[in-house]
Amino acid sequence: MGRAYVMRTVAMIGFLTASAAAADPFADVSAPREPGPAVPAASWTFFSENFGFRKELMSQFSYSRDASRVGSRQSIGFEVLKKFSSETSTWASVDFQGRLVRRDHYVPALNDAEGMSRPGWFLEYHNAYADLYNVFDPLLDDEGRGAVLGHFNLRVGRFYVPFGLNLQTDTHGTVLQLSNERNVGFERDWYAGLWGTLSPDLDYGVYYLAGSGYDLKLRGQSGLAAVRVSLSGRYAADYGLEGGVSVLGGERLSPAALDRSPAVMANAAGSDRVRTLRVGADARWRLAAPTGTLTWTTELSGGYDAPDSVFTQLHQLEYLQASRRWGLAAQFHRFWQDPRRSRTIAPGAAPGPADSSISGEATWYFRNDVAGSNLQWIKLNVERQTERQQGTPDVIVTLQYYQYW
Amino acid sequence: MLVTVTLLLAPESAFAAIGCTLSNPAQDLKYLFPEMSSYREDLREFPKVKDGAALFKGMRARLGSDLDPIYEIYETPYTVYSVFKGKQKIGVVHGVNVPGKGGVIQVFLSTDPESAAIRGLFFQRLESPAARALRDKDFRAKFEGLTLADFYMHDYYAVVQSANENDKIARIEPPKLDADGRPDYAAALRGIRKNLILLDIFVYGRRFEPFFERARQAAAKGAAPKE
Repeated sequence: MGRAYVMRTVAMIGFLTASAAAADPFADVSAPREPGPAVPAASWTFFSENFGFRKELMSQFSYSRDASRVGSRQSIGFEVLKKFSSETSTWASVDFQGRLVRRDHYVPALNDAEGMSRPGWFLEYHNAYADLYNVFDPLLDDEGRGAVLGHFNLRVGRFYVPFGLNLQTDTHGTVLQLSNERNVGFERDWYAGLWGTLSPDLDYGVYYLAGSGYDLKLRGQSGLAAVRVSLSGRYAADYGLEGGVSVLGGERLSPAALDRSPAVMANAAGSDRVRTLRVGADARWRLAAPTGTLTWTTELSGGYDAPDSVFTQLHQLEYLQASRRWGLAAQFHRFWQDPRRSRTIAPGAAPGPADSSISGEATWYFRNDVAGSNLQWIKLNVERQTERQQGTPDVIVTLQYYQYW
Repeated sequence: MLVTVTLLLAPESAFAAIGCTLSNPAQDLKYLFPEMSSYREDLREFPKVKDGAALFKGMRARLGSDLDPIYEIYETPYTVYSVFKGKQKIGVVHGVNVPGKGGVIQVFLSTDPESAAIRGLFFQRLESPAARALRDKDFRAKFEGLTLADFYMHDYYAVVQSANENDKIARIEPPKLDADGRPDYAAALRGIRKNLILLDIFVYGRRFEPFFERARQAAAKGAAPKE
């Protein structure tokens, strides 16, 4: 009886097991747990491990109503991004952007202020910087590294001026730009400084800038100190809100600032050094609309190009359709400079008090990766200049094809 | 609660080439893993991995839907964050973008480096009328512990054995949403699945492929599909 009972039990277990297996086709499937690289790289070298290489193509034509001419700007370019890591940490990165540009019949489109002095072929560099992350790690143990993680990163090289929203906005390929180009005379500069997390709510950046703009030049200027405190990423995630306050002060080289103001030129005493102060606040708010996304951007700053007071404002509204296939944008920007001293110094040659423009733009995207890593678009931009410090207000129409991949 | 908001992709970042990244990885990862001491970023792109074209082509079948020509192209770069305490790897974090009805839905997962199971689910940009419901902590917690295997098995169970108790995905109760919000719930689920598939390819050695293959075989020869 005992043997029969055991036999029946074994048979029952076998039957149930078989039934379960039949009922659940995954009963005998498991996931192998061996760690290791999932996908061996095709060629795992310096140039493939954490190495990004992107190509860029831009074809732009701008029409100036006043000049009655069409300017051409054609370029091919690239961007290289390399990150350096140990087994357990990423400790540095470098980024470089280069462009070979051909300009004919220059027209001052919004995104080509530097192009005036570059007729014909010109080899340009844009970003050229290195970041060192968590710079005090070599001095700390694991606990210490964890405690200061993200607080102290070092940036050295050429990048967007750390004033306003440009640090967190890629305007490399766009026609519409932010304030810095007009406000201080260049959108990028050579600098070094620390950046990182200040608190769960705030990020910071503290930098010393050469104040020379495109080329690194030292002509006796003291350079610029810049401090920026901005909302941390959690505000963008939760509320669609970015923003911060910035201070920029010291001396910069700016021949354009001298040209615009006899008072600034007199103050420079034969040099092209401009004593500079800017204090600014900025915000960008992205909110979901029924069929897409609306984004409002504002940058405000005041200060001086000694001895003239200056005030800059930029307001921009963008709409991006949910499919990311097309978008619309409108922008108003105005740069005001106190003309009183210049009028005293040069009554007949003093410039006007302000440059301002209203721009409208429509974009059709063929590629519009959310991360900005694969882009292809056609833009039509119309800039109606409403005030000019020098010359008369113009209308500039820009048609741009851009590809980044 | 803060976890829901501490991660952020940088779609408008000045670093145009690095793709799907955290805006402040040190701060964001530290919140997720308070005990961490360092992290490592690894850029992953289909064109740079062995058989990348075939793997990308296989995404559609594993995802169960077409890839979006704007959001999900072959060249899209992905950044994988490996989180360490000393020399020990304690977590993997990865984010993806998926198209929602109102725009971008950015889905981040933190996963266990050994089991590949979800430790946490986080939405970053969430341009959706369903944003509040999807960000709800209790809803997000329902995904903790799931693996890609659960999604593959669900494909089979949903068709052949709709009441199978092993179907963990079916047991997830959707948040209460109106008609405007429901498409974004589906998009969010798709984003979670896509994220797990990419992690399986880029990090976990395609360990869940047996489940995909079995689900496909079983569904093909199994009982007549039910609605």
